[in-house]
Amino acid sequence: MLLLIIIIAMYNGLIRLKNEVDNAFGGMDTQLKKRYDLIPNIVESVKQYVQHEKDLLMKVTELRAQATSGTMSNDEKVVLDNKISASLRGIMVSVENYPDLKANENFLNLERTMNEVESQISAARRAYNATVTDYNNGIETFPRNIIARMMRLWRKEVFVIPEVERENVNVKTLFNN
Amino acid sequence: MKNLSELEDLYHGRLKHNLSSLEASRKKILNKFLLSIFGAILSLLVLVLYFTNADEPNAIIPIVIGLFLVFCLGIFIMAFKAKKIYRRQYKTEVVSEVVRAVNPDWNYDPDRKITSSDYRKSDLFRRAYDKYEGDDLISGLIDKTDFECSELHTQYKVVTYDKNGRRKEHWHTIFRGLFFHADFNKLFKGQTYVTPDYAEKIFGKWGQKFQKFSGKGSLVKLENPDFEKTFVVHSTDQIEARYILTPAIMEALLRIKDEYKRPVHFSFIDSRVYCALSFNNKLFEPKIVRSGVKFSDISSMYHLFLLNETIIKELNLNTRIWTKK
Repeated sequence: MLLLIIIIAMYNGLIRLKNEVDNAFGGMDTQLKKRYDLIPNIVESVKQYVQHEKDLLMKVTELRAQATSGTMSNDEKVVLDNKISASLRGIMVSVENYPDLKANENFLNLERTMNEVESQISAARRAYNATVTDYNNGIETFPRNIIARMMRLWRKEVFVIPEVERENVNVKTLFNN
Repeated sequence: MKNLSELEDLYHGRLKHNLSSLEASRKKILNKFLLSIFGAILSLLVLVLYFTNADEPNAIIPIVIGLFLVFCLGIFIMAFKAKKIYRRQYKTEVVSEVVRAVNPDWNYDPDRKITSSDYRKSDLFRRAYDKYEGDDLISGLIDKTDFECSELHTQYKVVTYDKNGRRKEHWHTIFRGLFFHADFNKLFKGQTYVTPDYAEKIFGKWGQKFQKFSGKGSLVKLENPDFEKTFVVHSTDQIEARYILTPAIMEALLRIKDEYKRPVHFSFIDSRVYCALSFNNKLFEPKIVRSGVKFSDISSMYHLFLLNETIIKELNLNTRIWTKK
């Protein structure tokens, strides 16, 4: 009887951990969607000013269309999101060459919102990593690992900040691959 | 803002003169206190000796001693009143000069304190208080960030009855020290609390289990091991907690803790940051028993007032690149 109670408690505990991970990914997804909503506005306000970065804007619009198509797995979303992050930063870097745009109130507001969303995404990623670490600890420590294997719960990967985010953005190479 | 060597110049230039002129009052007050206390003890002793040894008690002697006791009480009250005046002079001639040395644009009011509604809004100390005291309010603006800081002492009362039914009041401190709040540079809706980590320090990993159930909101586990060892974080929103507590902010909070080496609590509520730095003694008060002409007193006062600058600078509150302007 005691053994049954322990097994039920471990089962429920693992389900809770799994749900927390899903919930954390959901939190991140919400933030990513905010960024997708922001992209058309940024493209719209930037394209009137920039002359040489039209292809950059087209690329980011394409990426956004892919991201919002709704047919992607979580892992694919993550990969695509990294590309969008990098291209948006590319746009922001190139904007430095256009003082008129930098002085535009509408664009400044967009830039603020963009910073906000980026900070929220970064926070959501860290929250996701924390729940994944808890989940991984839960399914890999004895004796819960036995139950976890029976429940077909496998290790999940934490968010690794891609190399491209750690380096300075090179806009030209960004879209050549 | 003056640096430490400029402060030393100010001390030798003007503050030392102010303090030295106050020194005569201090000595007078001290003498009055000593005289009244010594006189009262002496007269009580004489009274006890008289009643235990006198064969034929005479009414005149107790009356004389009684009159002397009243005289001592009078001197004590005078000393007490003089201390109030001395304190007021110290605050206007010395403390306000130190505040001006840190930032001439700040407002300083020695008699005002952080309002009890701001204290309650911080939600740092949830125990209801019976006594709310404080002074030395400083308020101002550092670039875009408004702030307020004052000394606070909150206490609650416990009443006990002994076996004879006599009522006894015991006062316990909830918080004593410097209380600060400022506008935060990011907008947020939830509540995040950063408090000293006692449980994990004492019980190790088991302490973390306890932390889950203590505090408001859920436990937030962060990536910085030093930060996790020093503080425990609870929040009503896991993502928002990390939005506020970025890796840079975690390092900054650690630096503030290291700078003052006192228990420190933070809360982030309604887009404001609240900070409570605990001390065991009253701050910015003149000394009576020893000389106040000491540069170390002035420099430690300066260091405490610098808390306002330190928090705003360390937390980068003037960086307004997000939606909040």
